[in-house]
Amino acid sequence: MKTIDEAKLIDIVGEKNIKTDPSDLYIYGSDSSVHHAMPWAIVKPETTEQVQGIMKYANKNKIPVIARGGGSGMCGQTVPVKGGIMLDMKGMNKILEINLEDVYCRVESGVVDDDLNLALKQYGVFYPPTPASSRIATIGGEIANNASGVRSVKYGATRDAVLGMKVVLPNGDLVSLGAHTRVEASGYQLHKLMIGSEGTLGIVVEATLSFVPIPEFRCMGVANFDTLKDAGEAIGSIMASGANPSMLELVDDVAIKAVNKTMDLGLKEVAAALIFEADGMVKEAVDYEIDKMTKVCEKHNGNDIYSSYDPKERAKIFLGRKKLFPALSKYDENLASTALADDMAVPYSKMAEMAGKIHEIADKNNIVMTAYGHCGSGCMHTKILMDTKRKDQWASAKKAITQVYEYVRSVNGTTSAEHGIGLSKAESFKIEKSDSLNLLATIKKAIDPNNILNPGKLAQAPEDWVTATNLRYSVNN
Amino acid sequence: MKNKTKEFKNLEKWQGTLANCIRCGYCFEHCPMFHHTGWESDAPRAKIITAFGLLSGEIEPSESAANKMFSCFYCKRCEAACSSGVPLTEIFTDAKKDLLEMGLEGPGTTSITQLSCARCLICLSACPHEARSYVEGKGITTDPAKCQACGICLEVCPAGAAKIENDFGTNKEVLIEKANDFLDTHESSKAIVFACNWSYYPELQASVLPDSETKDNDYEILVNMCGGRLEPHLLMAPFLHNAWGVLVACCPDDECQHNGNLRAKKIVENLHNTFKQIDVDPERIQLVQIPAGDKTLFQAEIDTFVDKLNSMGPIR
Ligand SMILES: Cc1cc2nc3c(=O)[nH]c(=O)nc-3n(C[C@H](O)[C@H](O)[C@H](O)COP(=O)(O)OP(=O)(O)OC[C@H]3O[C@@H](n4cnc5c(N)ncnc54)[C@H](O)[C@@H]3O)c2cc1C
Ligand code: SF4
Ligand code: SF4
Ligand code: SF4
Repeated sequence: MKTIDEAKLIDIVGEKNIKTDPSDLYIYGSDSSVHHAMPWAIVKPETTEQVQGIMKYANKNKIPVIARGGGSGMCGQTVPVKGGIMLDMKGMNKILEINLEDVYCRVESGVVDDDLNLALKQYGVFYPPTPASSRIATIGGEIANNASGVRSVKYGATRDAVLGMKVVLPNGDLVSLGAHTRVEASGYQLHKLMIGSEGTLGIVVEATLSFVPIPEFRCMGVANFDTLKDAGEAIGSIMASGANPSMLELVDDVAIKAVNKTMDLGLKEVAAALIFEADGMVKEAVDYEIDKMTKVCEKHNGNDIYSSYDPKERAKIFLGRKKLFPALSKYDENLASTALADDMAVPYSKMAEMAGKIHEIADKNNIVMTAYGHCGSGCMHTKILMDTKRKDQWASAKKAITQVYEYVRSVNGTTSAEHGIGLSKAESFKIEKSDSLNLLATIKKAIDPNNILNPGKLAQAPEDWVTATNLRYSVNN
Repeated sequence: MKNKTKEFKNLEKWQGTLANCIRCGYCFEHCPMFHHTGWESDAPRAKIITAFGLLSGEIEPSESAANKMFSCFYCKRCEAACSSGVPLTEIFTDAKKDLLEMGLEGPGTTSITQLSCARCLICLSACPHEARSYVEGKGITTDPAKCQACGICLEVCPAGAAKIENDFGTNKEVLIEKANDFLDTHESSKAIVFACNWSYYPELQASVLPDSETKDNDYEILVNMCGGRLEPHLLMAPFLHNAWGVLVACCPDDECQHNGNLRAKKIVENLHNTFKQIDVDPERIQLVQIPAGDKTLFQAEIDTFVDKLNSMGPIR
């Protein structure tokens, strides 16, 4: 372990903003992934100048720096594989400006997504990318992972909502990227380069974000299917029909069974269900979309199709999806629900096949996998349920993941839809992007010549994620 | 990694549950401790990670690790928010039992008894969790595994001897300071709302709004953990800084885990009498009972109270 000059850090951020006790370091060594590694110090800056000071110090001494928002990343993005300083950005949590005239807001990067949306709500507007983890995810973490959510099928991902940002570079320089206007054609879109860079190119300290009006009408529907294939084909047809859903979610039979097994929601045990939603300012327009989606579902043998504008009914329809995580955690007391092979995107026409493939691969490898996700935007999620104490289950999971992503790439899909790469998806990422890895390395080197920002991630991550770090589970030999 | 579970006899049974926590962090923005310090290592997820680290032998059972496990107000908001049904406080209690066996005891949020204790033993019967006992030759001791940091002993102790050292902003002086600061810096300020953490449901949790958004606020919500911790001095203090009224929010009659609401009711009743005597409308201090997490009702009660204050005007 490299020594850190604590006095120097105290000079920059003050004593109250540093922690170095092993019990604190241990906590900050994990996120929502399967990985764990120890940082050397936690620093919680409160100002841009403090971030600049830390970066200058770290760059001079070649100490790794890992930015951390809510620590809700699922692929080990914030796990400090090479040690270093963990920069807890939650100390920079001010909403700086809500500009209704020019339709943007400015926030520090540690602002929590839900908090921003609460502040915007009173003006009848919202910031749409919102991942399911919005109650803890920070704007900085969402930018770095290019997060998206259930409504991204209509409103886009983080990439589409960020107009500009202020970024501290590894050498401590502060740069303003992008603009405050909706359009910008001035040279390289460097702010977009930061989106999805997983904290490897710069520390985002401020972001300028666009927002949209909260729709007057929302209608949600559900359709059951006797085969996963029918449900998958319905997704493709809905998107190809020109319908404009504000949500289109798939849940498979494993997910439905898990929910039924652990709580009394009385969901019908079918092979798959689609939850769809449309929203808008005019009811007739929403009716039109719902009608269109209902008809497509019917065409693909959807049954028990039902939709409602009533908020209570909508909440009921969505409850099964919402309760999925606790249900999976309680599915079988010997199995833990792990964030592995957690997301991917495939073309609409391959949705059905993809979901089937996930089940086939799980069976072959003796683990349980479930398929669900924001399928309207091509995004598929899985969870691997396995006995994390058994070493052989980790080997099986690894094999299954390799096979899942082989399929994804074979149908022109991509390794991550929204959760990012971090450590656990690096294997497939590197194969998928093999012809641009040199370019990625060149960009990284130009911006971060000492390789101090979140080293060992993305293209730098080892292929074998199982041995990349300690696992955060107890594994018997 | 090697397992070293034998010393954690109570915690051991939670091994599977600790693996089932998906580390989503949904619990942490609800925790008053995280809200107060802003450090993730004070949040519920951090305690679950610590419990795992202790059980797996990845971290030493050190004083600082123990301090984390012994710091909790048992408001169980983390459990209500948990995505995976993890019974967090039960796990904390079992970890505490094992740590105690190892000679580690915090202090965390455990209530301690200082030398000024007059041995009146009032706190013994007041403690709703039977955590306090009198030991010959030692005086009053608290069982850190049983103490839920409700703070009731602090308020009943006539000698001011009971104390929660790590109060995470729930100490009376801090609350008075916060109330005064709000009343002195906001021109339109009218009311202070003291809410117990069970009835309190925050809107903006971790982030800070620009001054332009908050300058016209007419009330401020301050969290005092349990209604049982309220006392006349705290409730009267805002009036010295020109508050128009004070609202107290606590749990419904049979829902308080510490019976603190009954105490709060009595205190407010007594203050009503005092107000009458000094010819101030007793309605300026009110108590409302809110079921845990019902933020709609909570907001409605606040709005009604502020409307009423507006019709009364300031105290002359
Ligand atoms: C239960 C659950 C559900 C989820 N659902 C979704 C979902 O629906 N959609 C989705 O997209 N994701 C989802 N996620 C994944 C994750 O929550 C998101 O990717 C989120 O954006 C991460 O935000 P964070 O603040 O927690 O970032 P962290 O996990 O703390 O960090 C993520 C990455 O961002 C970098 N970073 C953080 N702050 C900065 C900064 N200021 N400057 C530069 N880099 C920074 C870090 O270095 C790291 O590489 C989910 C996660 C969980 C646990
Ligand atoms: S019970 Fe309350 S104080 Fe304790 S960890 Fe949970 S949320 Fe925090
Ligand atoms: S909410 Fe539950 S599952 Fe999520 S981190 Fe907290 S204890 Fe774990
Ligand atoms: S009264 Fe509350 S704070 Fe005091 S010892 Fe009992 S449980 Fe702990």
